[in-house]
Amino acid sequence: MSAIRLTAPSRQMAPARAQLRSVSLASSRAVSPRNKIVTMLTIGALGIAIANLVLHILTSTAVYELASLQQQARELNTTSQIIADEVDSLSSQQNLSNSAQKLGMIANSNPVFLSIGKQKVYGKPTAALDTDGRVARNLIANSVMTATSKDLNVPVAEVQAAPANVATQKAATAPVISNGGVIPASPTH
Amino acid sequence: MTYLTPGDPSKRLKKIVGFILVLVGVFAIRLIDLQIIEADAINAKSYEKRAVTRVVPAVRGEILDVNGKVLAKTILRYDINAAPSKVGPVARKVSGQTVSIPVEQVAAEIAAILEITPQEVMQKIIGTGEYSQIKKRVNAAQYRKLVALNIPWLYYDPIAERVYPNGAVAGNILGFITQSGLMEGIEQEYNKCLAGVDGEESFEKGKDGIKIPSSVVTTRQAVAGKNVRLTIDSDLQYFAQQVMASTVSFLRADWGTATIIEVKTGRMLAAAEAPSVDPNEPGKLSADDRRARIFQAAFEPGSTLKTITAATVVDTGMGSPTLKVYAPSAFLIPNSNGYRVTDSHAHGLEKLTMTGVLAESSNTGILNVGKVVDWKTRYDYLEKFGLGKRTALNFPGEGSGLLNSKETWANDGVKRYVSMFGQGVSVTPIQSAMMYQTIGNGGVRLNPILVDGCEANINDFQKAPVKPGVQVISKGTSAQTLSMLERVVEAGPIGRYGAIPGYRIGAKTGTAQIRDENTGKYAGPYAISYFGIAPIDDPQYVVAVTAFKSRTVGSSLGVAKPFKRIMQQVLRAYRVPPSTTKTSDLPLNW
Repeated sequence: MSAIRLTAPSRQMAPARAQLRSVSLASSRAVSPRNKIVTMLTIGALGIAIANLVLHILTSTAVYELASLQQQARELNTTSQIIADEVDSLSSQQNLSNSAQKLGMIANSNPVFLSIGKQKVYGKPTAALDTDGRVARNLIANSVMTATSKDLNVPVAEVQAAPANVATQKAATAPVISNGGVIPASPTH
Repeated sequence: MTYLTPGDPSKRLKKIVGFILVLVGVFAIRLIDLQIIEADAINAKSYEKRAVTRVVPAVRGEILDVNGKVLAKTILRYDINAAPSKVGPVARKVSGQTVSIPVEQVAAEIAAILEITPQEVMQKIIGTGEYSQIKKRVNAAQYRKLVALNIPWLYYDPIAERVYPNGAVAGNILGFITQSGLMEGIEQEYNKCLAGVDGEESFEKGKDGIKIPSSVVTTRQAVAGKNVRLTIDSDLQYFAQQVMASTVSFLRADWGTATIIEVKTGRMLAAAEAPSVDPNEPGKLSADDRRARIFQAAFEPGSTLKTITAATVVDTGMGSPTLKVYAPSAFLIPNSNGYRVTDSHAHGLEKLTMTGVLAESSNTGILNVGKVVDWKTRYDYLEKFGLGKRTALNFPGEGSGLLNSKETWANDGVKRYVSMFGQGVSVTPIQSAMMYQTIGNGGVRLNPILVDGCEANINDFQKAPVKPGVQVISKGTSAQTLSMLERVVEAGPIGRYGAIPGYRIGAKTGTAQIRDENTGKYAGPYAISYFGIAPIDDPQYVVAVTAFKSRTVGSSLGVAKPFKRIMQQVLRAYRVPPSTTKTSDLPLNW
């Protein structure tokens, strides 16, 4: 066995390579700047992680605030729509007509116009007693009229307290402004 | 005991490195393939799997009246849905304690808010399904009340809905738009302006189907629709509709219309109809009653066309308002196999002026007036007054009326004659109103105006420009015709019921027999009309009132009073001072 072992390796052995060698302390000290870098990098990474965490917390808070504000906006939009629906209903011609009828209003079919420029009265003043002019109950459909005017009954005491003769009233304190002699135009013109 | 590795280690190392390099190369090539060459296709596939594209509907514009009052707008409504499989008692805090509210009580609460019965609610929430609709299109106030109940198994879907805050005011003109896209009226005609352009946005969803908040990308911004402003004064429109609703009810008529036109511009201030559709609930009226008859319903006008016959005679120089004619009890149309025309009442031979013929509304009299002009000339005048042709408004479904061809007239002597008193031709209410606008406007026929324009900003609206009109009759003829019409109101047996104290009014009545399509014969009930212009000294407004198939009043008397009420309101609302000039006092007889 030993003879074989002595003769078996037929190829040349490679020259022995350098084996482990001792490292001097001086060369070990030379790596310390790397440690510094590693330390700095670690601290930097930690810093970034903490900053990220803080930013994340802040962002999350802002997201919640944003969601809350969006909810508020939705609520306000709903409120705005509810009020708009109510205003639409109350200002609809159907509600106004019914209200005027309940109040016993009468449209005077004998309009009288004053021309300031010509100092002239057009038309004959007549009391609005014609039943033809009485505002009629509403006949026009409106399925989206959800609100109607309430408390339209004028207290009798208030009616009685009204002056019987307007001519005896004192002149209005507000000055009358001339519009240059033109009959005031209708706001609907 | 040292083991030596067989072979050369450096070669082996090279082989391994080489293999690794080849592997890296393969990966690199695949990477390039995936990341660069196929990247777009793969990205698209991936995006398709997780991305959702959604249409962002454009807000539809508003329709306004001439004063800016909103007649149509789009708001949010809410569909109230439930998940029956999850329906159960609702936990609620009462006096600091959590109490379980039974389903029946919750259903009763929902029912009270939605104005339906608790049984209806129960029927819809019991089951195993995931979806059940309790009520559609609930308004914001009801929605809020429901949300406050804090019911975990209720779901709310906001839906944009078209709303008409004034209901049926101008309903037949506005038209409507349904969820399925069916449209009529102005909604249809101005859809391009009102609709806007829908936007588009896409977002990505996670594995659980939840939208990833930061992934929303607006790919196309929605462009809101513009607004349309009508020339209609909604207050006046309401007043006229009220009058027509009560008139049609009183007369037991099929329908009625009242058209108000500004003489000098052709602007339509009101186009009132009865019945009038509430566009919020168009299904409540039949399709026939939903339409805008002022533009679509043509009928034989009857005596209101006598005004045009008289104006033609005056304009051609063949007669004046004092032209003396006979009005016999009957008029036999020449070469007509004995076609006999009579008046509404029996009378002997009357000696009337042309003015008297209009005041008395004599059929036999107007035949003797009109025959002085040859029929071809009269035909041309009718065409110039706008008969047989749609107006420039081009309202959806607008009718042209009927004016038979000249060839038909050439072969039909009866048509030539009866057209003098408004038979054998048909007109829409808007055509009739514009004929009287022509007479009031110095003989110049304008195009009717119903819409001022289409603007994004409601402050940018200007009055629509008035296009030059057609001089149909001379200014002098116009003035003479107005004088004759004034005498109709002053002295006419029915005309006088439309008189308004203090104002000079001109008008013509019409009681038209309606031709039975099956028998071809004329009979009642009648289409009764009263068309008037005021004030005569400076014509500003035309009011044209018609009731179709009046059953309780068999003459135009049935619409004289409604005309008066509407015209009075127009004069009052538009601050027209009473007249200060005197009437022409034209003679009626000789």
